[in-house]
Amino acid sequence: MKKVPLIMAVLTVAVLALFPLLRPEVYYLSFLFTLFMYVVLSSSWNVIGGYAGYLSFGHAAFFGIGAFATAKMATAFSLSPLLTILSSIPAGLLAALVALIVGYPCLRIRGPYFSVVTICFAFVVDLAVKNIEELGGAEGLWMTFMDLPEETSRAIMYEVMLLLMVVTLATVYLLGRSRFGRGLTAVRTDEEVAETMAIPTAKLKIQAFVVSAFFPGVAGGLFAYYLSYIHPDAVFSINISILIVLMAMFGGGGTWLGPIVGAVILTVVNEGLSTFAQAEIARIIYGALFIIVTIFMPDGIIAYFRRWATAQRKA
Amino acid sequence: MDPVLVIQSLISGVMMGMVYALLGVGFSLTWGVMHVIHISHAVFGLLGAYFAYTLLTLYGVDPVVSAMVSTPLLFIVACAVYQVLIRPLTKAREMVVASMILTFGLAIILENLLVLVWKADPRLLTPSYASESWIIGPFYLQYPHLIGFALSLVGISSLYVFLKKTTTGMAVRAAWQNQEAARLYGVNLFRISMITFALAVSTAGAGGISLALLYSFEPHSHNLWLIYLFLVVIVGGVGNVIGTALAGLIIGVITGLSMAFLPYQWVNLITFGLLMVFLIFRPHGLFGEVG
Repeated sequence: MKKVPLIMAVLTVAVLALFPLLRPEVYYLSFLFTLFMYVVLSSSWNVIGGYAGYLSFGHAAFFGIGAFATAKMATAFSLSPLLTILSSIPAGLLAALVALIVGYPCLRIRGPYFSVVTICFAFVVDLAVKNIEELGGAEGLWMTFMDLPEETSRAIMYEVMLLLMVVTLATVYLLGRSRFGRGLTAVRTDEEVAETMAIPTAKLKIQAFVVSAFFPGVAGGLFAYYLSYIHPDAVFSINISILIVLMAMFGGGGTWLGPIVGAVILTVVNEGLSTFAQAEIARIIYGALFIIVTIFMPDGIIAYFRRWATAQRKA
Repeated sequence: MDPVLVIQSLISGVMMGMVYALLGVGFSLTWGVMHVIHISHAVFGLLGAYFAYTLLTLYGVDPVVSAMVSTPLLFIVACAVYQVLIRPLTKAREMVVASMILTFGLAIILENLLVLVWKADPRLLTPSYASESWIIGPFYLQYPHLIGFALSLVGISSLYVFLKKTTTGMAVRAAWQNQEAARLYGVNLFRISMITFALAVSTAGAGGISLALLYSFEPHSHNLWLIYLFLVVIVGGVGNVIGTALAGLIIGVITGLSMAFLPYQWVNLITFGLLMVFLIFRPHGLFGEVG
């Protein structure tokens, strides 16, 4: 990163980290917790979907696997709050392991077919969890939240999610600029040519898929603990999968900044609309936003502004 | 296994499958010919269903008549949608992605308009013959199901004849096989795309009416319908009309049989599990992309 953007990034993180000291209302902490979570989800999706161009429409499955793994560990071993938070890391590893197993056959399929197979995968995981009694079946799992005043406990979860977001963004940034990231770009641009140039495309794709599943798994674990109640419909919904893709593509897939911009805009707009407008009207405006952005910025917001900036410089 | 039950579930599976095929064939065409994955396809099916529902409850119009009226109406609406929303997308670097995002937005808008106008309650198309059946020996064929089946069969056959026998239909197939070559032979791709899109949307309307004769529907039903569309289209091969029809029948029979013999919650698990395995081993459909 060049010096100025790096300083800006560090400053932003510092301000966000100090924010709970102002003793804001719990609502704002909750809202930012969700926002950070979506940044994590869409940025890690971007590794496989944006960099490699394999649009996974089943990322909610990894999110949900992480959530249920943490919830199960916490209830089965009655873990302390700290251990519960830490247990989201093995939960993320489980999600990554599932990605490794599923990715092996699925990543051989290309284009829209890959998208459809990932949709099916998310459904299968969802239905399987609903049919397993030990995971609460269709009723879900209850967890006990930490025994602290609400402001403190929410602030702790806020900081943890912020940390996860920083780690995710740093990883994705470094990956994007590494040899690995350039390999993925080659896969997206032309997989056949990449293969002929001795780029190990199959290996790169699997690695990208595993990385892009790990962080959502951890986020899912934290989310489950935050809600202290987890139900399959809350984490496996196809709408979450679609939202992750839309946030990344809306901002601009394949760029580091795109998913961040997309997640922030869509979360803020969604929250604002649901506060100020009737539910259906809010959804209609939300839908219209997708249409307007795709017509005027078909390659995402970031690409649009880059083009605009180049045009300014030339003029 | 009771043979009567087996045959009865086969029959209902075939009927259901035919209807999914009519709903899916347009989805398959827009995907194959225009490289547009039309997420709001099933919502247009719902639009047809609500249109028939309103005409039936207010004026007692038969759903078959409504299907005949809705088809040209939706054709015109779809031409406008194409010109205003879909055509600008041809500039996008990744047309498939852009089209998915845009039509996802359109689906949200239409779904919520449906909620505003008709409320979120489930509706049922109940024509005067709703509870009557054609009884052959031990088997029951409910009239609404029969009508839905017949409507779908007619819809798919006419689309097939159109694609095979008319010049415009041949141009559509040419664009599906190779856009560049089609353009070189003087096919106006924008016109062909508009016609494809409009045909797809109007068959979706008729498919929605047929499906509404079999099941109840509500503004959110299109999400589940869409999943079945993906299923039918993938198994049948993208852009392949006959393939889509056969895939519809196969999937209908599988669901029909598993509904009869398995606990309900396992039916979908098996359907999607099968589809996953299928995609991994035969990603281009049972019948390939030519046909």
